[in-house]
Amino acid sequence: MPTLKIDEKEITVEKGTTIIRAAEKLGISIPYYCWHPGLSIAGNCRMCLVEVEKMPKPQISCHIQCQDGMVVHTQTETVKKLRQHVLEFLLVNHPLDCPVCDQAGECWLQDYYMKHGLYESRLDENKVKKSAKAVPIGPTIMLDSERCILCSRCVRFSDEITKTGEFGIFNRGDHSEIGIYPDRELNNKYSGNEADICPVGALTDRDFRFKCRVWYLKKTDSVCPGCARGCNITIEANLERPQHGSGERVMRLKPRFNDDVNDWWMCDAGRYGYKFIDHDRIMEPAYRKDGQLKTLDWNEAVAGFLTIFRAMTAQSKEKIAVLLSPQMTNEELYLAKRLFVAELGIKKVLLVGTNPDGDQDELLIRSDKHPNRKGAEYLGLIEEKSSVIKVLNEAEKGDLKALLVFGQDLVSLYPDQKVDHLLQQLSLSAFIGSNHNFTSEQAQWIFPAATYAEKDGTCTNFEGRVQRIQKALPPLGEPKPESEILMLLAERLGFHWPYQSQEEIFNELSRSAPQFKGLTYQKIGKEGIKV
Amino acid sequence: MTHLVIQAVLAATVLFFVFNLAALHTWMERKQSALMQDRIGANRAWIVFPRWLAPLNWLLRSFNVLGLFHPIADAIKMFTKEDYIPPKGDKFLHTLAPCLSLFFALVGFAAIPFGNTIEVGGHVINLQVANINVALLYIFAVASMGVYGVVLAGFSSNNNYAVLGGLRASSQMLSYEIAIGLTVMGIVMIYGSLNLQELVRAQGHYLFGWLPLWGFVVQPIGFLLFIAAGIAETKRIPYDAPEGESEIIGYFVEYSGMKFGMFYFTDYLETIMIASLATTLFFGGWQVPYLTQAGFQFPWGAAFALAPLTVSILQILSFVMKVLFFCWLFMAIRWTLPRFRYDQLLKLGWHYMFPLALANVFITALILLMVPK
Amino acid sequence: MIRTKTVKRPELNLWEKLYFPEVFRGVLLTSKHFFKNLTLHAFHAIGLFRKIAAAVTIQYPEQLWKLPGRSRTRHRLTKREDGSPRCVACMMCETVCPARCIYIVAEEHPDPNIEKRPKSFDIDLGKCVYCGFCVEACPEDAIRMDTKILDIAAYSREEMKLDMNELLNPTIAKAISAKP
Repeated sequence: MPTLKIDEKEITVEKGTTIIRAAEKLGISIPYYCWHPGLSIAGNCRMCLVEVEKMPKPQISCHIQCQDGMVVHTQTETVKKLRQHVLEFLLVNHPLDCPVCDQAGECWLQDYYMKHGLYESRLDENKVKKSAKAVPIGPTIMLDSERCILCSRCVRFSDEITKTGEFGIFNRGDHSEIGIYPDRELNNKYSGNEADICPVGALTDRDFRFKCRVWYLKKTDSVCPGCARGCNITIEANLERPQHGSGERVMRLKPRFNDDVNDWWMCDAGRYGYKFIDHDRIMEPAYRKDGQLKTLDWNEAVAGFLTIFRAMTAQSKEKIAVLLSPQMTNEELYLAKRLFVAELGIKKVLLVGTNPDGDQDELLIRSDKHPNRKGAEYLGLIEEKSSVIKVLNEAEKGDLKALLVFGQDLVSLYPDQKVDHLLQQLSLSAFIGSNHNFTSEQAQWIFPAATYAEKDGTCTNFEGRVQRIQKALPPLGEPKPESEILMLLAERLGFHWPYQSQEEIFNELSRSAPQFKGLTYQKIGKEGIKV
Repeated sequence: MTHLVIQAVLAATVLFFVFNLAALHTWMERKQSALMQDRIGANRAWIVFPRWLAPLNWLLRSFNVLGLFHPIADAIKMFTKEDYIPPKGDKFLHTLAPCLSLFFALVGFAAIPFGNTIEVGGHVINLQVANINVALLYIFAVASMGVYGVVLAGFSSNNNYAVLGGLRASSQMLSYEIAIGLTVMGIVMIYGSLNLQELVRAQGHYLFGWLPLWGFVVQPIGFLLFIAAGIAETKRIPYDAPEGESEIIGYFVEYSGMKFGMFYFTDYLETIMIASLATTLFFGGWQVPYLTQAGFQFPWGAAFALAPLTVSILQILSFVMKVLFFCWLFMAIRWTLPRFRYDQLLKLGWHYMFPLALANVFITALILLMVPK
Repeated sequence: MIRTKTVKRPELNLWEKLYFPEVFRGVLLTSKHFFKNLTLHAFHAIGLFRKIAAAVTIQYPEQLWKLPGRSRTRHRLTKREDGSPRCVACMMCETVCPARCIYIVAEEHPDPNIEKRPKSFDIDLGKCVYCGFCVEACPEDAIRMDTKILDIAAYSREEMKLDMNELLNPTIAKAISAKP
């Protein structure tokens, strides 16, 4: 356990810790480009140079390991001068592209220049032009080698994390540039991360390209709903300047560091899977009769739906089926269970997945494409394929009268069951979901629900880690979160539920489900908590 | 019967001239203020005919350029604007107030003599609508009735600012009426009559044989006080605290359209009224120096015979010119001075004008007692 | 410590307190202007002394005031040599605009060396406060406020919006619709 002094402050660290890590713990920030805590140490940008007493030359703090009795200085005149010179060197061939560069605003060159650079340009020579600007090197990433400072983070990422090795540094000296090996394409499942780790504008996101400027974005911490991993993300939305992004509000998703779940990364499927938030949304409640769709307001819709539903709960409870989904949050599943099972006594409350299983790998991606299957399991809801088919067969025989669907596209999921006909034959069929699909096109009653970006709640990932999602946007149109729809139904059915917020629902849930015992939103925090 | 016709014609003539003068007054005010402030003044209300009537356009050109059609444009605007009555105001009084104001401003002119007698077809016509024995009292009576219009306007609008404006106006008008009444007492005492025609005739004498015995000669202090108090009666700058259009707003804030126009018009009529009174009382009315019914008779002995009709026309012209001069003077004062603060205004009225006017009456009385007729 | 300085009110002397002489002095001053200007107007009417102005008025729509060289007037977008806008849609002006009256939508430029260009560039003159920050912020000298156009009027808010074409060609005078 070496003890050392950095800028007069003493710290004791684990053996093998680098100076930059130790300084970070002390709250001393040392600038760096090539070093990334998730990648191997390259030590080529020279930005993190510090002075260490009794060492003849300045040392790169990302590589030097702490030794007992070391005395490190990060703020001396020499260090400041060195940072200026390193920046000047890095910027020798960098174009003055900031107005058109998507990285502007979160560019490390800009940041460090304002903090450590601030020198007058002494450059008399022409800049060495690299090969063409703005080359798409894959479906997600745009390469501009002019802007590159050759930190090699992207090379290390593709070598070490994805192990696909598309990137390399070509040519020598002043002419070296980053690039893709011939006949290769950057199309691995984590390619979007290349834009994240690039500290400058050399690798930018093609999806985000020119949509809006980064300083317009409002950032909200959330969790990716794409698979059972539950990667921590930041939803970045542009709400105040609607002219940008051709009507979309969510501009991009970025991974959020959580070393228990996803480290610094997220997969492309999750990263670009946000389009449904602003496209194909069900905007208002509606009623369909004889193929004619009539839009209603919430009061009319709930009242109309309940006149039939109430009569049915009184006479033929066993002929009602409710299909809950593992896309719903813990709170919503709890409320649904309370309403349909506890209060109304409906037997056929089943869990049905909305997405078929997909691919899986060792890094992040899980084959189960639902964020909250584990949470549903903890609440006693386990999916059984056969039971759904049984219910659908009953419906075909006429033994089922009502079917409430929470977002599942039954028509596509069970093509053999002729669900589209069933939905119209039933006395009552309702679809509660956020986006249009084949099932919503056939259901009699349609209630628009909020997407995960428009509501608060918690999800439980495959390891049993409870994590919070947070409202980043107001709902698009009239939708309400499922929990509010359930509360509205309960209120109209004469049950008095006292919930004011999702937190109150969760507190009650934590008292009733043993796995969640003792949990609060505060304990879950930003990182989530494993149960 | 003929007497009635003659009176009707006289009344119609006076009304016609007074109305037109008041309308032209708006033009005069615009142009005079513009010239005083190195501007051009309103000149955008043009009447232009199609090209085939070009000669007419040529004739109208100078009228257009001078902005003489602005009074007409104003009238059209006033008549076509929405007549707004505050929903919680008193509808009847709200309509009555401007009518009262205008009526009392107009009827005063009946007692103003604008010429000596003329003889037409055997009838001797006194150039005065109503030859009232106590004309001066009559004029002050109707002028003080004008305050009703103002107070009612403020009251019926159901607007606190309007009520305050009405109150300011009424106390100001009452205060200054006392001063104005006292200032003319000197004149009445010297000439010994309340009949305005008699007063004017009395001003036809000469002091030392050559100095016309006009009011301002024998009552210089009275004249100055009368002008000062008279402007206060018209509620125009520097005494415009009751109206204060630019910021504190006054009793007619809730008026629009022609009702507002009537108040506006009343202001001008009152100005002309005070100008006529000043002329009649202090500037010899229709008198022209050294002009008698037979023609000019200068003090150094020269004489110049004139036909009686010419003499009458000269006298009427003299009256009109004097009135216009006073109108000009009032306007010059109005566009020169800033407004009095309200306490200053009342202090001026009660602390200075009233005692001075009183002193003036006493001194005049003393002199009259000492100097034999 | 706060220091106060008592400023004495100017005392009026007796002559001034009499009020009338001072009123007379004031009226004399304004009358001087009145008669001087009246005489000049009369002379002008018969074609004399036209060079001495009788009024400082500028008859606005017919006569125009000569604007100072640096006055900020309606915006325009400057052009490249080929006539396309210089603007690269960097959104600096949109960001800095305190009235949020600038609306830019960016798109890809076919030339990768320019990379970015505005797909649309609208300015809502109904919101603009003419602060000139957009001109200051522009890194490409693409927006200027030197058209000398000040008479901007319309019957609806919609008509107060300028699109990219109008901004690029300030000579296009937007016609005011006859009636709302």
